[in-house]
Amino acid sequence: MTLTAVEKQALYIAMVRSRAFEEAAGALAASGDIPASWLSGIGQEGTLGAIVQLRADDYLTITHRGAYGFIGRGSDPRRLLAELLGKKAGYCKGKGGRHIADLEHGILGKSGTVGGHAPLAIGVGTAIQNWGGDQVVLSLFGEGTSNRGTTHASMNTAAVWQLPVVWVCENNGYVGNVPASVYTATPDIADMAASYGMPGEVVDGNDALAVHDAARRAIVRARSGSGPSLLELKTYRIRPFAESATDVRDPAEAVAWRDRDPVAGLRDRLLESGELTLADAEAVTAAAREEMAAAAAYARESPFPDPAAAFEDLYA
Amino acid sequence: MMRSITTAQAMNEALAEEMRRDPAVYVVGLGLYPSAGESATSGLVDEFGELRVRSAPMSETAIAGSAVGAALVGMRPVAELHLADFAFNALDEILSKSGKWRYTHGGNDGMKLPIVFLEGIGGYVAGASEHSQSPLALYWHFPGLKIAVPATPYDAKGLLKTAVRDDNPVMFFTHKLGAPGPVPDDEYVVPFGEAVVRRPGADVTVVATSYMVVLSMEAAANLADQGVDVEVIDPRTLEPLDIETIVASVVKTGRLVVVDEDTERCGVGAEIGAQVMERAFTALRAPVGRVANPNLPVPYSPPLEQAVLPSITSIETAILATLTN
Ligand SMILES: Cc1ncc(C[n+]2csc(CCOP(=O)(O)OP(=O)(O)O)c2C)c(N)n1
Repeated sequence: MTLTAVEKQALYIAMVRSRAFEEAAGALAASGDIPASWLSGIGQEGTLGAIVQLRADDYLTITHRGAYGFIGRGSDPRRLLAELLGKKAGYCKGKGGRHIADLEHGILGKSGTVGGHAPLAIGVGTAIQNWGGDQVVLSLFGEGTSNRGTTHASMNTAAVWQLPVVWVCENNGYVGNVPASVYTATPDIADMAASYGMPGEVVDGNDALAVHDAARRAIVRARSGSGPSLLELKTYRIRPFAESATDVRDPAEAVAWRDRDPVAGLRDRLLESGELTLADAEAVTAAAREEMAAAAAYARESPFPDPAAAFEDLYA
Repeated sequence: MMRSITTAQAMNEALAEEMRRDPAVYVVGLGLYPSAGESATSGLVDEFGELRVRSAPMSETAIAGSAVGAALVGMRPVAELHLADFAFNALDEILSKSGKWRYTHGGNDGMKLPIVFLEGIGGYVAGASEHSQSPLALYWHFPGLKIAVPATPYDAKGLLKTAVRDDNPVMFFTHKLGAPGPVPDDEYVVPFGEAVVRRPGADVTVVATSYMVVLSMEAAANLADQGVDVEVIDPRTLEPLDIETIVASVVKTGRLVVVDEDTERCGVGAEIGAQVMERAFTALRAPVGRVANPNLPVPYSPPLEQAVLPSITSIETAILATLTN
């Protein structure tokens, strides 16, 4: 199934908005408005190829990195940035910071431990299966996170229970400044799928259309009750591990990967095929930057929570 | 009508009743069927099927973590973790993903985590250090969990039904030992946060939960023969804690002993003792006594185990010490 021009444009718009959000968040981290750091997903927006095709009633578990999960699902950038600034108007009323849930858009929250989401994903799969629904849960994790037992226990459980889970590993090649090969015995995380009797596929993570295609197969499989799959998106993190961190990776790598920028890559392909005009592309970028600048202003101006709010929300 | 049944049978009834009442309730755990012997979950698969009685792979992480994920999307899971010793493998899922998740996310869109974690506790069975633990204080230390510690089959059934209906994560601890006891035929629930006075007395207040109630009642009966009148209070839930009932008792007796099977340091006795001191300092006529494991792993050999875990004798000694002070 090939994408229509409109679908490709929608994917492109999501990627541009995500990039603009990341830039706004990075600036707010640099200016000190964000009291913690920001873990940028710039360079990894190809993952949106998988995320944008989720249905409104599907579920997503995110990672510690990037905002494309939220942007792709339709979360409000103003409330996202307000949360990062610790403001009352944020998704978690300033209690979570980077740990954001948007239940309305099927995003269940963010674990402080990497690998904390995989067991939650199989629980969502359990619920879908018990209710007899045809939703899926897409669960993202980094290649470093593949080291955790939570990841393996959850992949095994999803497989034996035939749960509608699509595991998506974003392999950006590094855990902090340490190359993935130092920590992970196999170069291809997708190989782990064989241990759990499910399909595993390596995909060019910077080619959003290739990601879309592979994810579509995995989603169809999960939706039809045939069980989980594992996709590995090979990609690269352009920014340091965190905005506050020092990057000691070889700068030549980033230069090479910038040439394969997923956002520019999709734009060029759509320009070439005539599915996007240069004027449209420029308008999309300008609108996204304007939207995120307004969201940043909203977040900055919005009030902090009353200290008394610290004593609320523990129990339902 | 009353019958005498075991704690496992009482819990089995509670689960079956709640599963019939609400299709969102399901059980997940290792080896739920075919069940070997009598347990809280035995036979449930026959009535409710394999989706609602999920036999899980041997991963406490997957069992507890999947319960969290399912709860976030509207299910009411009961996660059978068997022994508290094994549940340490799922502490991130229990303490952070369930206890703190709602608060961290600011109660986002009415977020709820209606989960019951079932954990067996306790020694006196030659289980050695990793099949004998009673880590109540560990869970009590962390925000966001409720803690039920029934001492009788009656309370096990009534508290478990309340736990399943609660919209928050509940730690539900049952001891390996425990006698059958009377349970009514008719449906009932036992509310959280309501202590029960197991035995009224005028001289010393003893607070105990779970199997420690049984030992404390024996100690109280022995001391009654010596003219010491002991009041035994069973809080039934540690979170919420019915501190009012405990304080009212201490105001009457002026003396408090807390009996807890867990290690003493930062334990249940320390917490209840501190709360009583804060609220009823002037009523206390003797230092608060603590009977607990003296901060050791539980040893295997019966005489060693007896030396470490609370006993009727050590409880009597602690009670008498508050009277000589
Ligand atoms: C259980 C746990 N251990 C360590 C950390 C600290 N930590 C945060 S992100 C991260 C690296 C994760 O690597 P990867 O999954 O490859 O994702 P990436 O940062 O490369 O996107 C680590 C170690 C954590 N949050 N949780």
